Order: sequence, then structure tokens, then C-alpha cells
Amino acid sequence: MTVANDMSLFTLISGASLPVQLVMAILLVTSLFSWWYIFIKVATIKRAETESEEFENKFWSGGDLNKLYEAVTAGRRKPQGMASIFEAGFKEFIRHKQQPGMEAKMDISDVMEGSRRAMRAAYNRELDDLDAHLPFLASVGSVSPYIGLFGTVWGIMNAFRGLSSVAQATLSQVAPGIAEALVATAIGLFAAIPAVIAYNRFASSVDRLSVRYESFMEEFTNILQRKS
Amino acid sequence: MLRKHENSDSWKAGILAITVHLVLLVGMLISFNWKAAHPVMNITEVELWDKLPSTKPVIVEEPKPVIKEEPKPDPKPVVEEKPKPEEPKVDIELEKKKQELAQKEKELEEKHKKDEATKKFAQQMRDEDLREKKADEKKQLDKIKQDALSDVKAQDDKQASAVNASLIGEYTEKIKAKIRGNVNKTLCGDGNPELKFEISVLPTGQLSGSPRIVKSSQISACDEAVERAIIASEPLPLPDDPSLKAQFKNLNLKFRPND
Repeated sequence: MTVANDMSLFTLISGASLPVQLVMAILLVTSLFSWWYIFIKVATIKRAETESEEFENKFWSGGDLNKLYEAVTAGRRKPQGMASIFEAGFKEFIRHKQQPGMEAKMDISDVMEGSRRAMRAAYNRELDDLDAHLPFLASVGSVSPYIGLFGTVWGIMNAFRGLSSVAQATLSQVAPGIAEALVATAIGLFAAIPAVIAYNRFASSVDRLSVRYESFMEEFTNILQRKS
Repeated sequence: MLRKHENSDSWKAGILAITVHLVLLVGMLISFNWKAAHPVMNITEVELWDKLPSTKPVIVEEPKPVIKEEPKPDPKPVVEEKPKPEEPKVDIELEKKKQELAQKEKELEEKHKKDEATKKFAQQMRDEDLREKKADEKKQLDKIKQDALSDVKAQDDKQASAVNASLIGEYTEKIKAKIRGNVNKTLCGDGNPELKFEISVLPTGQLSGSPRIVKSSQISACDEAVERAIIASEPLPLPDDPSLKAQFKNLNLKFRPND
């Protein structure tokens, strides 16, 4: 290990041993992915919130439910969020109502139960979409500091092993090795901190959205019950 | 990996993620001063000396002339005073024989002349000794100067040899002084006879064999007296260093009992 007079960031990375370089590469890729997912999640959660806001406004404006259903299904795009829950529940309700000859047999409670199940299924699908990538962020936040630490420990081990073969040990012989090793920890922390913050924020946002969806489901069931 | 509804955002998110990393990299490159600063060191070389070469030999050499100079002035008056009382003895004896007186006076004058000659000779000898010593001192000083110029190792060796030589000189002087104390001076007459003895000293300070006369004083009693003095002054003083003791195996001693 030569004593580098010029300790630029690139010489630090290129001078590191292969395992440390590997750790750095892994951490860089995970950091890139976690940031990518963070930006995707920010966009999707924001869109889900605005869409549910818009749909609730439309729903509680007191218009005809059939018209609202036609407006939701008319679009080329598959309805998302609260709209998809409404669509699933109302479709099931209409299907039960429109079946001829079966009306005597079909109890109102059975109809309500069917539409409720359909809404539950749609709700689960939506929640699954909202929860996507959150486990990845959680694991990046918890594991990447350890990966970085592993790289650092490996690098410092090498630095001290190199020191043992030198007769006269000076600080300038260990310093570059330790600096190289610490770059791994820095990258790990850089990947972990935003991932943890984003995970906590997204988890709370998803919780709030799920509560909103559930309350909408209950209210919509009541409305359907009154209609039938 | 990605959900269907997320495809629209993927490109934007990817570009944003890369820009975030680039911003961080640029921030690190700007905020840190990655060039290591090496302050200029003022290095001063210092030579460490165990012993100062100039002081020791000077200290050792100084006592020699002091010791030698002291006894010299003492005997002079002794030698000068002795012939004076003899004059009245000669004058008192007889009145008639003026010729004898004259003869005796002549003899006295001759004796005086002889004494003076011997004194002059002795002084010359002393002067020569002094000159020799001074020359030796100068040589030693020159050696020391040369030593100071030459390598450190050579210096040490020469220094050590100089110290040894001075030690040997010191102890020969001690041996001489001890022997001189035991010499019966009266046996050596009025003159200033010079004797040379060769002795070999064992490491214990004892003599091995009997002392050998190299130069006799022409007075057998005096020679014997000095020989007895040498034997009587056993054990002779020797330095503690065993390597130096070997130097005293063959020792030439010069004596002037009346000095």
C-alpha cells in the first residue's frame, strides 16, 4: 500500500481491496434502487391521495350512483384506489339485482355480503399496490449499515495486516487504508438514512389511506343497504 | 419489480435518483479538501558524543609536568649547599704549605667545574626531556585534531589508545614514585647517577624474576640499593584493566635517585 499524497475520492475507491470495492458497488446499487423506489412511491402515494380526495368529493356531492359508476368505468384506464373499490362493490350489487327469478331467493343480506366481499378483495389489491417496495426500503435501511461496516472492518484489517510487515510503523501508512475502508461505511449510511426515513413516512401514509378506504367501504355498504 | 401503475413514474424516478447521487458526489468533492497537506519539516542533525575528545587527554597530560617539575627545583639547592661547607675545612688545616693550598684550591676549582659541568649536563638532559614531553604533547594534540577530523569509529579507537597510553604512563610514574621512596639515596653518592632497570610485572603486581640492570650507575652500592628498593616496593601499583596489565610485562624504568 503506497502512501498517497493526493487522497482524492477516486484514488481512495480504486486503491481499496477487492472485497471492499465489491461492498461499495453493492451499496451503490442498493442506494440507487432505494432512491428510485422512494421517488416512485412518493409519486404513487401522492397520486392515490389526490385521487381518493377527488373521488370522495364526487361521491358525496349527491349525484346518481349509476352515473358515477358509468363515469368511473368509462375511462380507458383501470380505476384505482377508492374508485376501484367503489367499482367492485357496485358491480357486484348490480349483478345480484339484475339476476331474474332469483330475487325471491336472494336475501338482502346475501347481496350486501357479496358486494362487501368484492370490495374487500379490491381493497386488498389496492393496499398491496400501496405497500409495494416498502419491505425493500426497510431492509435497505436496516442492512446497508452492516454491509458498509463489513467493508470497513475488512479494509482496516488489511491496513493493519500491511502495517505488521513494516519495520517502522507510521500513521501515514495506516491512514489511507482506514480512509478507504471508511468510505464503505459512508456509502452504507448514505443508502440507509433516506431509506429508513422514507419507509417510516410511506408506512404512515399507507396506514392513513387504508383507514380512509375502510371507512369508505363501511359508508358505501350502508348506502347500498338503504338502496336495496 | 414494478407495478403497472408505476410505469409512468419509473423514468422520472430513475432520473431523480441518479441526480440525487450526483449532487451528493459533487458536494463531497467540493466540501472536502482531498489533497493531503504536508507541512515542511525543519530537520536538524545532531551528533551525539559519549566523551568529549579534547578534554580527557589534556586532563591526563597535565599532572605529568607538575609532578616532574616539583622535584627538580628541590635538589638544586641541596647540591649547591653541600660543597660550601667543605671550603672552610680545607682552609683551616695548615699555614705553611701554600703550594698545597693552591693545589687544593685548584682541585676545588676543578671540582666546581666538574660539578658545574655535570649540572649543565643534567639541565640539558632535563631540557631535552621537557622538549620531548612537549613534542609528545604536541603530537598527541595533533593526533586528537586529526581524530576529530576523521571518522567517529577511528576517533574512538585512537581516543581509547591515547587514553591507554596516558594510563600506562600514569602507572609507570606511580611505580617509579613507589620505588624511589624505598631507595637509600645516600648510597648513590653526591652526583646524579642515572640507572636503567628492566622489570617484568605480573598482573598481581609481583615481580617475575629479578630486575635486570640495563644501564648501571657505575656505583655498585647504588645499583644494589635501587634493586633492593624495587624488590621492597612489591606489590607494584597496576591499573585495573587486565588488557593494560599486559603492557607492564616488560617495563623499562629510568632512575635518578638524587633527583
